[in-house]
Amino acid sequence: MLMFAVRRILVSIPVLIGITLILFVMLNVVPGDPIALMMKEHASPEVIARVREQMHLDDPMISRYFSFLWNAVQGDLGNSIKLNRPVTDLILKAFPNTLLLAVCAALVSWVVGIPAGILSAVRRDSFLDRFFMGFSLLGVSMPIFWSALLLQYVFAMKLKLLPVSGFYGWQYLVLPSIVLGWSSAGVIARLTRSSLLEVMRLDYIRTARAKGLRETGVITRHALKNALIPVVTIMAIQVAGLLSGAVITEAIFSIPGVGRITVSAISSRDMPLLQGAVLFATVLVILGNLVADILYSILDPRIRAQMRSEAS
Amino acid sequence: MTKKMKLLLASGLASLVLMSPALAENMLRISYPEDPKTADVQMTTDSYTLPLNIFDRLVESETTGPGVSALVPGLAEKWEISADGLTYTFHLRAGVKFHDGAVLKADDVVYTFDRMLNPATKALNTDILTFIAGAQERMDGKADSVSGLKALDDQTVQITLTQPYAAFLALLASPGASIYERAFTEKAGDQFGLTPETTNGTGPFILTDYTLNDSETLEANENYWRGRPKLDRLLIRVVSDSETLRMLFESDEIDVFDLDYAPTQTPYFYGSDQWKDQVRSGPRVGIYYYNINQLKKPFDDVRVRQAFQMAIDRQTILDKNFYGKGKLEDGVMPRGLACYMPATPIEYNPAKAKELLKEAGYPDGVEINLQQVSSWSTKWSDMNQIIQAQVAEAGFKANIVTTDEAAFLAARKVGEAEAYTQVWSADFNDPDNFFYTFFSESGTKTRGYNNNDPEVFAAIEKARGMTDQAERCKLYQDLTAQIVGKDAAWVPLFSLDHSYVVQPRVKNFTVPWNGWSDMNYYNVEVE
Amino acid sequence: MTHTSDLAPDLPPDLAPAHEALEEASFLRDTVRAFRRNRMAMVGLAFVVALVVCAVFAPWISPHDPYRVALDEQLLGPSRTYWLGTDNFGRDVLTRILYGARISLVVGIVPSLISLAIGAVMGILSGYLGGRTDFVVMRLADMMIAFPSLLLAMVVMYTLGANLLNIFLALALVGWASVARVVRSQTLALREKEFIEAARANGTSRSRIMFGHIFPNVIPTLIVLFSLSIPEAIMWESSLSFLGVGVQPPEASWGLLVAKGKEYMFQAPTVAIAPGIAILLTVLAFNFIGDGLRDALDPSMKD
Repeated sequence: MLMFAVRRILVSIPVLIGITLILFVMLNVVPGDPIALMMKEHASPEVIARVREQMHLDDPMISRYFSFLWNAVQGDLGNSIKLNRPVTDLILKAFPNTLLLAVCAALVSWVVGIPAGILSAVRRDSFLDRFFMGFSLLGVSMPIFWSALLLQYVFAMKLKLLPVSGFYGWQYLVLPSIVLGWSSAGVIARLTRSSLLEVMRLDYIRTARAKGLRETGVITRHALKNALIPVVTIMAIQVAGLLSGAVITEAIFSIPGVGRITVSAISSRDMPLLQGAVLFATVLVILGNLVADILYSILDPRIRAQMRSEAS
Repeated sequence: MTKKMKLLLASGLASLVLMSPALAENMLRISYPEDPKTADVQMTTDSYTLPLNIFDRLVESETTGPGVSALVPGLAEKWEISADGLTYTFHLRAGVKFHDGAVLKADDVVYTFDRMLNPATKALNTDILTFIAGAQERMDGKADSVSGLKALDDQTVQITLTQPYAAFLALLASPGASIYERAFTEKAGDQFGLTPETTNGTGPFILTDYTLNDSETLEANENYWRGRPKLDRLLIRVVSDSETLRMLFESDEIDVFDLDYAPTQTPYFYGSDQWKDQVRSGPRVGIYYYNINQLKKPFDDVRVRQAFQMAIDRQTILDKNFYGKGKLEDGVMPRGLACYMPATPIEYNPAKAKELLKEAGYPDGVEINLQQVSSWSTKWSDMNQIIQAQVAEAGFKANIVTTDEAAFLAARKVGEAEAYTQVWSADFNDPDNFFYTFFSESGTKTRGYNNNDPEVFAAIEKARGMTDQAERCKLYQDLTAQIVGKDAAWVPLFSLDHSYVVQPRVKNFTVPWNGWSDMNYYNVEVE
Repeated sequence: MTHTSDLAPDLPPDLAPAHEALEEASFLRDTVRAFRRNRMAMVGLAFVVALVVCAVFAPWISPHDPYRVALDEQLLGPSRTYWLGTDNFGRDVLTRILYGARISLVVGIVPSLISLAIGAVMGILSGYLGGRTDFVVMRLADMMIAFPSLLLAMVVMYTLGANLLNIFLALALVGWASVARVVRSQTLALREKEFIEAARANGTSRSRIMFGHIFPNVIPTLIVLFSLSIPEAIMWESSLSFLGVGVQPPEASWGLLVAKGKEYMFQAPTVAIAPGIAILLTVLAFNFIGDGLRDALDPSMKD
């Protein structure tokens, strides 16, 4: 088990290095002068040239990449051009807000998704099943920026029950969490349903049923435990989806998180900040996948065996 | 890992709880669309609210009426200018104290300007000081000090220029010329202006809290040399979204609603019985213009340029897209700028424009490109779409071309830019800021005009050094007639008003002369 | 499906062309039948067909010009003339949405095709050749998958600049890796199948085995992946355009229409809400089709 985890972590390292390389190259082949782009109308060519020199922008790309990598390993992602502060500080300060949003959204998605999935599976092909599955498809098909707008319009502008946007208290988190959670609730519901259906076909459930146990007992005591294994692991992977979604949610609801930093870094063409924010998000995704794999291997003995053979 | 997560989560929750805004009696609550980034004005070219309230300048631009300003003594009580216009001697006010208690000395002024020019500072506002003797050498790293900056004694600063420059005093009144304290600033290093602990000025307010992307709090400076401000506290909240801003304002959580941040709300506030008397409006010293490049056919022909000037229905754009809050401009200088004089009106006349195109050899109309940049605000693409439709009547077949900013700037640098629309706001109150930028020999190319008129070049250079203000203004007015009227090199559109809505408890709110959102709140009161 | 004929000489006797063709014809028939039985999928298909027709014939269907500026008719409410009202330039919202459908459909299809092509080639190469190729391709795929898709697309748009062509590239770059993974695992399974072993024993070239024998067998999967990636691409494009790094005005992309309409939410909510409904319905329709195709082509993937 430990061996598997260690091996899994070791495999992530080259992936991570590759990612830094891809990201660095993509952001550094930007046509034009990043400094001139950033300073816009009122800066003189002399000032631009000076800042370029100080940022070592005229050094060869290879040497810049290695110094970026070396500094990144030590937690130094450079300085934001626009905000003139260390990128790492900016991200770490914004991250708690993103995390809070992501956790609340995840809670929403579980609270809605898991019961809906269970009910759908139990009452398979019933009206309820169709209703929930249709609803979950609706959740997946709704653009986040639009459902956000709709909820803002109804609950904030018309009914005036909740604040439109901003981040000044718990009530400001309600709409963003619903918007973000809603989109992944559908995924969770579908997964819970299919995995529960699969488990219920297995022998031991049939045996339990044959022994005369009541259906609810069968489901809660036997089937659910196994059916939720893939659901639990998907939760870790959810991080990726929630981070992508958080970019839009934070932008619409003006939440000062990593997503908002990313969008503003793009619009102000703040390359070091963008680089840092994307790298940070990507590391989170890799961590999420890592946790998912390891969780899966702990929870499901069959997979554990299989993984062991694959890893060796 | 989990422990760290918990910690992060807890701090997130804590910040939520702490963020609920407290209402203090004498507090003015304003908003800012994004984080102001720093109070160190040498490091920013676009957010001046913090520096304008935390620091003072040697000379100040005081708003004396709507769109009118005067240069008044600031930290310098008085000054003398030598007859050749090269030497400025400033006598500092006695007993002015910084927030940390230190007394202002001439050396602080010298330090401040030297810091700006010191290449290690990476300052962005150096343009203000480039006329000082030795500034270039300092910026190039060839000198350790600036030869034109001298502290004659603790109260006297002498600044020598390389050439007479009429706009120099106006430049010293701009936010970028805010004065710092040597000892404190040296110690703060590159952290200066980023936190309350590393910020220190002589201004009416003291920075006491800075929460990135959330809010800044400024408290009254009890020892301010002009007397304590009326406000106890100034709260600046970062609100990026216009709907939120309106909700916050209407639920009395913000005192000043800046319509610049939410232009689409203009009709609502002007039309609302509750709010229409609370609107404060003033002209903005900035001009919307359409740039046309004479290097690009068909704009090489003056008749086509005239036709383009005439084909745009500026009044309709102003009325419909900007709710009529502004004034048509016919010159290079917008109202409110020193030397401003109404220029000969440009008429909207598509029929005549069509005639001109015919004369120029385009009887069936002519294709032109209107450029926009994808990262610019949608305001510009809105303008392009309207203008595209309008000029069609005169026979211009306008294509809208979107490029990214890199391509645009690269093309403009070598004088290849396509026609585009933008606004230019006064950095300081002097016509040189407009004429030199667009029509000097270097400017006309890098700004993509290519109006290569040696007479104009010479006149602009000459005006920079003129000391007789009346004569100088006359020259700028003549230049306007030449550039806009005769050459049709400049397509002026309009200047806008800047409107704010304030809560009834806010008193003495004056729109600053330049119409900026960033202003000094020294005189504002709340009840 | 014409791939069978030119492969005939390589096939072992028990997989004679006639036999396979027959099998395929019935497979196709079964698929179509299964698909047609799926009511939601048929509804989705009907919607998409209607949308395609509207998009292609937009200039003839719509009574208005999508780019006409009429500042006297700003932000009108829904009426007989303007069914969904007008936007801030007095343009008909419904017309703008119809023209927006063109972009959304193209953006749904083109990048999906590109990522499918890249993903299929990479997946087959990786799965069949194994070894170092497999390692390199799969690590590359790991990297692409580790990037949160929207962020990766945003970075690409940041670098290349915001326009339609670059959206194709960005979305293709985001999408190919997961296709490659699925195709690789199928290839791994197919590699051990008898008919491939036989072909190999016959001395068939590697490239022919990969693209003549294995490729046809992953086509059903590719079709399912294609149908599922269309709504995803539409969603990404509208998100990018909403954030201002996608399609640029005056083009009428749905995401852009919502973003612009957002500014007038107080005065005229339909300007923002209507294009959102268009996105929702279109994505939903494609998802129905995708589900239907998956169930029909590969019943094992159901549930």
